[in-house]
Amino acid sequence: MKSQIIVTVGREHGSAGHEIARMIAEQLQIRLYDRQFVENSDEISGYSMETACKADEKPVNPFLSRRIGDFSNSIEENVAEKTFEFLRRKADSGDSFVVVGRCADYILRDNPNVIRIFITSEYHEKILRIMETNQVSDSKAADIIRKTDRQRKAYHNYYCDTKWGDSRRYDLLVNSSKLGISGTVAALLYYIRIFMAK
Amino acid sequence: MAAQILAILIFIGMFLIIILNKFERHIVTLSSAALVLILVFGLCMHSFRAIWSTLNLQVFITPTFWYGESSGNTTGINWSTILFIAGMMIMVEGLGKVGFFRWLCLTLAKSVRYHVVPLLICFMALSAGLSMFIDSITVVLFLSIVTIELGRELNFSPVPMILSEIFCANLGGAATMCGDPPNIIIGTSLGYTFSDFIKNTGLIVAVCLVLTVIYFWLCFRKGLKKSEDSRSGATEYSKPISAITDIRAFLAGTAVFLTAVALLSTHAQTGLSVALIGVIVASLTLLSSLIFSGKGRVKEIVANLDYKTLLFFIGLFISVSGLEESGVLTLIANFITRASGGSLTMIVVIILWLSAVASAFIDNIPFAATMVPVIRSIASAQGISLPILAWALSLGTDIGGNGTPIGASANVVGTSVSAKHGHPISWGEFCRYCIPATILVVLVSMLCMFVLYL
Repeated sequence: MKSQIIVTVGREHGSAGHEIARMIAEQLQIRLYDRQFVENSDEISGYSMETACKADEKPVNPFLSRRIGDFSNSIEENVAEKTFEFLRRKADSGDSFVVVGRCADYILRDNPNVIRIFITSEYHEKILRIMETNQVSDSKAADIIRKTDRQRKAYHNYYCDTKWGDSRRYDLLVNSSKLGISGTVAALLYYIRIFMAK
Repeated sequence: MAAQILAILIFIGMFLIIILNKFERHIVTLSSAALVLILVFGLCMHSFRAIWSTLNLQVFITPTFWYGESSGNTTGINWSTILFIAGMMIMVEGLGKVGFFRWLCLTLAKSVRYHVVPLLICFMALSAGLSMFIDSITVVLFLSIVTIELGRELNFSPVPMILSEIFCANLGGAATMCGDPPNIIIGTSLGYTFSDFIKNTGLIVAVCLVLTVIYFWLCFRKGLKKSEDSRSGATEYSKPISAITDIRAFLAGTAVFLTAVALLSTHAQTGLSVALIGVIVASLTLLSSLIFSGKGRVKEIVANLDYKTLLFFIGLFISVSGLEESGVLTLIANFITRASGGSLTMIVVIILWLSAVASAFIDNIPFAATMVPVIRSIASAQGISLPILAWALSLGTDIGGNGTPIGASANVVGTSVSAKHGHPISWGEFCRYCIPATILVVLVSMLCMFVLYL
């Protein structure tokens, strides 16, 4: 029986990945590290909420940033590095948690207690979900999905040697449309509990 | 023609890949160098002579490389720059380990009784002064860390002070031959001495520094004064002595630093080349570390040597040689000459402003390395004074780097240290204060050049 479990959840925008991650954390009664946590946590960034909000999980603009050794002028990169440091520290301390995005699948890849999940969904369901949550038209929803996924991909691929959404780099890649949100959560929990019992 | 096109493509590709930041920059320049040697010199030009002169290994057995009057490094890898920078890196590493920079900053803070506005002026002067002899990255790194620490103790935002320190570090670096990598490249390539720089760029920088201090004082004095006034209760200040890790090693390190300053200031008289000074300074640092701190410290200093930067320079020099040997730089020189109508004034204006604008956005080291053969070519074709063009290039590249957060390495380090400690500096904030200052200083430099040389 494992004393620690870390679940990393990569997700396409609109796939309900965040909601699934939240429900898994709730069911397992462990912490959830997501956007809200990064923005509010002094422990991670030490920045104002506004700055953290702008920079969290955002890609680095190569034309506006430069790196010299360990130093980068990019605020996005500094926030990302602080987030990665925080996740490593938490993982090393033996804490169990669920983390949404933020390259956690790659950052924590050497930890034997990590399960790496990627959530996708049928395109029309993603559109419907974003239309509902953002109160926008279908074309606007499509734009938001395209833009957000592009940013997530650029963010992930900048810091990681692995590619965002590449099935070979995850333990489970799930289409949340097949079982619905609660069905997907139940299936994932089943998998996680077997893994924890090993 | 094929060699020229290939050399340009390789060079542009190198620049773009450096900007994209996906690979470490020494890997990029070394790969680019390999392509230049194999494709441009080997396949297109079939010139073993070009390969040999680019590798430039024969300089090590040339007496003037070490001692005596040198006419400068004509082409290829500038080994003087490499040896000098390596030597200074070792010295700076040793100084950092014994707490020299932190001690200096805290002593200055104590000397102004921890009043914030005088501290701003002192740190600007210290930043400019140290950068005349030590690379501006190190100066900004140590100054910004101490500034953040003092900001916490004295209740002020460190951002204004860090911006001022960055600006002054780049400005101070323009004053001497060893202050900034572009100056080391210009000086060693064209055979200019420390005193040549001091008498020319140093003089202009002194005028600009006074203006800069006034400018930043006007910008930041109110905010800093206000935060000082709101300081409450008795504050525990960091004591300068707490910075020193080992007093004997500290004194030895300081002596090595003063020796380096003395050797550099007099190298035109003593005949010692900067390459030899680099070797002497490194040897003295390692020797004093061995005596006072033991073998472990020596190993630590050598292990921390930033060999990636040295490899970056080697790759860069070879890549620039690709442009030079294939005649691309002569074409650029001819273009600048035509655009200026052959007028020296116009050439100076173009070089100064082109260097300043380019350096605000791209790394000024490759830019300077590329422009040195260009100005040499312009001077010889037009029969005009090469030193004037060299000073214009030096001032433009060093000062122009102040314009944006990515213009110079010191800017990246300063803004990064600030961000790591919870004080992010956005492009907007950096540019709001530094662009006007940069334009002002380049303008004043141009006017000074008109008065002094034209």
